[in-house]
Amino acid sequence: MKPRIFLFFVGPSLFLMTLFIAVPLVSVFVQSFFVTHQVFHEVTTKSCSPGFMKQTCTESTRTEPVLGPDGVPKTETHFVGLGSYRSLLKPAAVKAAFSAAGNGIGDLLNIDFYRALRFTLTFTLVTLPLVIGFGMLTALALNNVTQAVRGPLIFTFLLPFIITPIIGALAMRWLFVGNGIMADALNGLLSQHFAILAHGWSLELLMLFFRVWYVAPFAFVIFYAGLQTVDRDVMESAIVDGASRVERLRYVIIPHLAPLITFVALIHLMDAYRVFEEIIGFSSQAHRISLQWLTYDLLVPDSSGNRAISRASASSMLTLIGIVILLIPLLRRAWREHLGRG
Amino acid sequence: MAEVQLRNVTKHWGGFTAVDDLSLTIADHEFLVLLGPSGCGKTTTMRMIAGLSDVSGGEIRIDGRKVNALEPKDRDVAMVFQNYGLYPNLNVYENIRFPLKVRKIDASTHRERVLKAAELVELQDLLERRPRELSGGQRQRVALARAIVREPNVFLMDEPLSNLDAKLRVSTRAQIKNLQHELSVTTVYVTHDQIEAMTLADRVVVMNRGVVQQIGTPMEIYDRPSNTFVAGFIGSPAMNLIEGSLAGGVFKAGDMRVSGLPDDGRDGDVVLGFRAEDAFVADGEEPAELEAAIYSVELQGDATMVTMRVGGELCSIKAAKSFEARIGDPLRVRIPSGICHRFDKKTGARL
Repeated sequence: MKPRIFLFFVGPSLFLMTLFIAVPLVSVFVQSFFVTHQVFHEVTTKSCSPGFMKQTCTESTRTEPVLGPDGVPKTETHFVGLGSYRSLLKPAAVKAAFSAAGNGIGDLLNIDFYRALRFTLTFTLVTLPLVIGFGMLTALALNNVTQAVRGPLIFTFLLPFIITPIIGALAMRWLFVGNGIMADALNGLLSQHFAILAHGWSLELLMLFFRVWYVAPFAFVIFYAGLQTVDRDVMESAIVDGASRVERLRYVIIPHLAPLITFVALIHLMDAYRVFEEIIGFSSQAHRISLQWLTYDLLVPDSSGNRAISRASASSMLTLIGIVILLIPLLRRAWREHLGRG
Repeated sequence: MAEVQLRNVTKHWGGFTAVDDLSLTIADHEFLVLLGPSGCGKTTTMRMIAGLSDVSGGEIRIDGRKVNALEPKDRDVAMVFQNYGLYPNLNVYENIRFPLKVRKIDASTHRERVLKAAELVELQDLLERRPRELSGGQRQRVALARAIVREPNVFLMDEPLSNLDAKLRVSTRAQIKNLQHELSVTTVYVTHDQIEAMTLADRVVVMNRGVVQQIGTPMEIYDRPSNTFVAGFIGSPAMNLIEGSLAGGVFKAGDMRVSGLPDDGRDGDVVLGFRAEDAFVADGEEPAELEAAIYSVELQGDATMVTMRVGGELCSIKAAKSFEARIGDPLRVRIPSGICHRFDKKTGARL
């Protein structure tokens, strides 16, 4: 294809990608180095009583926003360098946590950012193998059942993925809240009252379970499609050569599905690292928060109506950096596979 | 090494019968070719021997042991597939070694056995390569080496040359023939190519629609086809099959008249068959069995194929490469009775 024709094809996509991805990204990056706040000035007012004999006057000072000519409060933007990052990462507090007087990890996890990072990383790295494992097992099982029942079973397995995540999370929370069906069943089973939503660790397990339940069908449908393309001759060669089911899985199926496994892992890592719906759906803010939720929380206006846009931008950039670090090994692997095939 | 026996073997796919009551004994060390057109049941038969397809009826024995219920890995057979069936993520060495590894054969013997198998198929310089870095012929040789390395009782080969180009097919065919001679392993080979069957086989089984049409040596099949299907399937070009009437040892059809055929009372409508290379152009004024206008002339390098129309059929004869004539020219052809085969017109069976 001539470069000019190629440019005609990819030009519109490049333009839109720049407009809707690169520009906001650069904007967030820039905003993370600046703090914008309203300009206030002190107004001193003197009020006197209409007294007889002697008039009493008092002076009071208060701060008021400075209004521009159009009546809108004036704002000022200052370059703060890495100040917003510092206010999130709190290096001094981290140093203190690991000093002789500190409590190490315990103190570290009292800082919002590290608390969110700990949960986000656990959530991402624990759900990843479970999603791939359950997706693969379901696909293999379904690939071996009679053709007649495959359609209804595929539909049933896909149902969790069809449900909106926030609705799914809320529905699951209601199962375990107060006298929900599952809460009652659990209490009956344990012969004692156990509020699963009241404990951080049990709530976290429930959130992990929900994500695996919700995303495994995506992995399943990708792997099931991949299984349909396994070369029959290769599979039968392995059977005649004497390979067991596990060996066929190891030497034939998994190598064949490797690009799809990488794809599912990439998508899941990007998605899970931005975990948000579970925090809202399970109302877990008191026990567990994620990096994405932290960004959202910083953007919520405080009682004065101010938003911590600079810190929110810094939080977004740190989330982005985290995703890139997690993706690097997979991207390297995908690149090596690409070179190998070329 | 082993004898393979098929006793009344049948395979049904729902209401369709893929293989119908097949009985066959493949002798120890024999190279047997299953030959037939697509859908004739030859590959299904091989897959049943391998254990990749269940047997609907009858029994299969390998080395005297009934194997119907055995897993493929327990039948001690090795199979070579049309599409090679190589493991794309393993290099040539690991591909050849794979059966030894999964069968937990003493690891200290692997290297020696792999190198020996690779040497037999001349792959020793390619052991580090992945299958995608090999040509079609090299891939098929890897598949052969993988079959050889385990020293199985029976080799099964499912159209192993079909994906190769014509030149490579000839050289790989010779390699397979030589390998079988060297290893002397009982081999079942499936093909739809009658040249492969004729060149490789000790015996050929010609199949059509799941039924065995004829079992015999290549020469028996070629010289004495048991019916019109076999006669038409074997040979290039296929045997001329002319419909006509037979009375008192004389066959007549259009401009064709062949006398001297056996007068054994089988008069009536018959199909007369003869091979193009057995008939010849008549010299001078000598009597000819067929006189007709030339329909087409095809120079083939070593000979000239001349086609004429007899009744509704086209009839070919192989003339010398120096033969020259034009389409429409009259031609007189000798068809001695000794080269002719008689077949029943209704059943197609040899008379």
